[in-house]
Amino acid sequence: MTGGMPRRTLLGSTAAAGLAAALAGCSSDSGGGEGSAGSRRKGEKITLTFWTWVPGIDACVALWNKQNPDVQVKVEKVSPTNGAQYAKMHAALKAKNAPDLAQIEYQMVPSFLLDQGLVDLSKYGAGEHKDKFVGWQWQQSVFGDGVFAIPQDSGPMGMFYRSDLFDKWGIEPPATWAEYERAATKVRAKGAWIATFPPMAGGWFTGLAWQAGAHWFDTKGDTWIVDMTGQETRRVCDFWEGLVRGKLVKTEPDRQNAWYSDLQSGRIVTWVGAQWGNALLSGNAPGTAGKWRVAPMPQWDKGGKASANWGGSTTALMSGTKYPKDALAFAVWLNSAPESVALLPKAGVGWPAARAGSANPALDRPDDFFGGQKYNSVFAGTEQGVNTSWRWGPMMDATFQHLGDELTAAINGKGSFADALARVQRRTVDDLKAKGLKVETRT
Amino acid sequence: MSRARPARSAAVFLLPFCVLFTACFIAPIGYALYQSLLKSQRSGPLGFGREREVFAGLGNYTHALQDGRFLQGFGRVLLFGAVQVPVMIVGATVLALLLESASARWVPFFRTAYFLPYGVPGVVASILWGFLYVPGISPVVDTLHRVGWDVDFLSNGTVLWSIANIATWEFTGYNMLVLIAQLTSVPGELYEAAVIDGASAWQVAWRIKLPLIRPALVLTTVFSIIGTLQLFSEPLVLRSLTSNIDAAYTPNLLAYNEAFAANNYHLAAAMAVLLAVVACVLSFGFLRLVGRTGKGDER
Repeated sequence: MTGGMPRRTLLGSTAAAGLAAALAGCSSDSGGGEGSAGSRRKGEKITLTFWTWVPGIDACVALWNKQNPDVQVKVEKVSPTNGAQYAKMHAALKAKNAPDLAQIEYQMVPSFLLDQGLVDLSKYGAGEHKDKFVGWQWQQSVFGDGVFAIPQDSGPMGMFYRSDLFDKWGIEPPATWAEYERAATKVRAKGAWIATFPPMAGGWFTGLAWQAGAHWFDTKGDTWIVDMTGQETRRVCDFWEGLVRGKLVKTEPDRQNAWYSDLQSGRIVTWVGAQWGNALLSGNAPGTAGKWRVAPMPQWDKGGKASANWGGSTTALMSGTKYPKDALAFAVWLNSAPESVALLPKAGVGWPAARAGSANPALDRPDDFFGGQKYNSVFAGTEQGVNTSWRWGPMMDATFQHLGDELTAAINGKGSFADALARVQRRTVDDLKAKGLKVETRT
Repeated sequence: MSRARPARSAAVFLLPFCVLFTACFIAPIGYALYQSLLKSQRSGPLGFGREREVFAGLGNYTHALQDGRFLQGFGRVLLFGAVQVPVMIVGATVLALLLESASARWVPFFRTAYFLPYGVPGVVASILWGFLYVPGISPVVDTLHRVGWDVDFLSNGTVLWSIANIATWEFTGYNMLVLIAQLTSVPGELYEAAVIDGASAWQVAWRIKLPLIRPALVLTTVFSIIGTLQLFSEPLVLRSLTSNIDAAYTPNLLAYNEAFAANNYHLAAAMAVLLAVVACVLSFGFLRLVGRTGKGDER
């Protein structure tokens, strides 16, 4: 009686799903194949596709399209949740239908190099634009003699805090991590939490280790050096493990609804975040307008000025683009032309990578959300404190996954945070070896 | 000569199916098998030079089977299935029997209402339920908190069952509909005869209806077992709401992350093949099991 029916239904639905996927694959209309000359014929009209998730980037692109009728840029938005945009880009590269241009965060550039996914811009004269950008940000995408992306913005880290509540409770905003821990106890006594420790926020935790002076990745000749268990990292691990085990911080994910709800209601009163976080706060906790201030990151050494970078991205050219010269011209214009850089902060990007951009009047304005504080001047200061010798590893998306998994396991009782980092290092080394890379750990 | 024509027209009718079946089913499986036997080798400074794909034999399979997280993921979905599938099938059967009982009222309305969740895409359903699980947002958590009961639907111990709840909500109505379809095909004389013989409603359900919808029960159970092993979109969506779902929470999720976060397509292909093998073994194993014990009923 069951006969063929279950099988037919099963196959039918599978075939339909496969067909849908195939159709979705076809709908992407970006150019594939290598361009021979690297530029278009004179007078030829072309359209470049650009994958990005920056909400307001369309304003810049519209301006470019008006100025360059022959080289139109078409923005296609991709989701930045949980690295979905990179999964899509890697898949598109594998399927050879990648866009011409893509927004890629600094830490992801090496993983695309492993996929042969980016165009070496030095072949098309990128070197002459080097001086338009902040030195260390430019260097983040330089490997050997190649230049693989044009920097757009960075995310110097600082501390957002609820100055009204700190005043009301008579607590000094912490300037060192030791003071931060004491403040956490006092805040907890008032029924609130000083912060959350979001185990899945790999970029955030990396920023904390970066500030403490760790260097997780380095290169020596042909070999990658991994060091996630050094004393600087251990210090960060032990500190946050103390806060978590002492129930002085929450462990909910950041930048999610529950966290926004806690910010809005004053249950969480600080966020050690990045410059671009201002928009997240004002957009998701509008009821707290005027009550936030910005201070530098708490320091390990009293009077120190160490900071770190969280996030920040580049505009890169994906291999397969037929018009690298035109695409490069757009990437450079987008991130350095004064008329574009003036629009970027409103578009939702972070601290501009263009040298001219730091003097942007839009960044030097008192902000009502921060009670009239010129909060960007704080980030201008912390940007100077970023340790610019930091290097990213070749598979940071996988490393961030391991970091989230292992820190969660540690919170749930599987060993210490430092043990978790040792496991992350071991799995990262395995990943790199599986990719056929030479890798060593620093002992 | 008169035999050739039906054969030709049969071929014409079969062609679209065969083409689609080959292009969308056989070819991808073949490609996955092929990919699972390869591995990448990189050369040049820091590995940024050339990439070559070389034959790896069964290396990816041994790697997958030695990965404790992959095996844990299997353990998790098996535990999930052992609890969720029986609960859902029993629920669907009870609903179907209720709606098909003589005294049922408003049948079309309830049938549609129960079936409706199946029309909600899995991702959307997960987002909806996610809002009901997250403390600070969820009215359920808030209300329970107010009456003094602090529940965390997203904790390490509970999140699996929160996912089970979503799956049950989504698919009970669908399975119910399959069972109802079979129930309506039971000839009415059987019921009449039973009632004349003095059978109670209970006895009719237990001794007539249930044995007669056995094939539909087997069908829905096999589908549910396969669905359980393929658990993917619910954990993927809830992952952003809680840190207690890791990248290897289910075998499917791990294969996805190996493919798209670690860019190890070859290992991911091997994992996908292993997952398919386990799904086949469990499905056919279940069919064998019920086939053996059920021989008597199907004459």
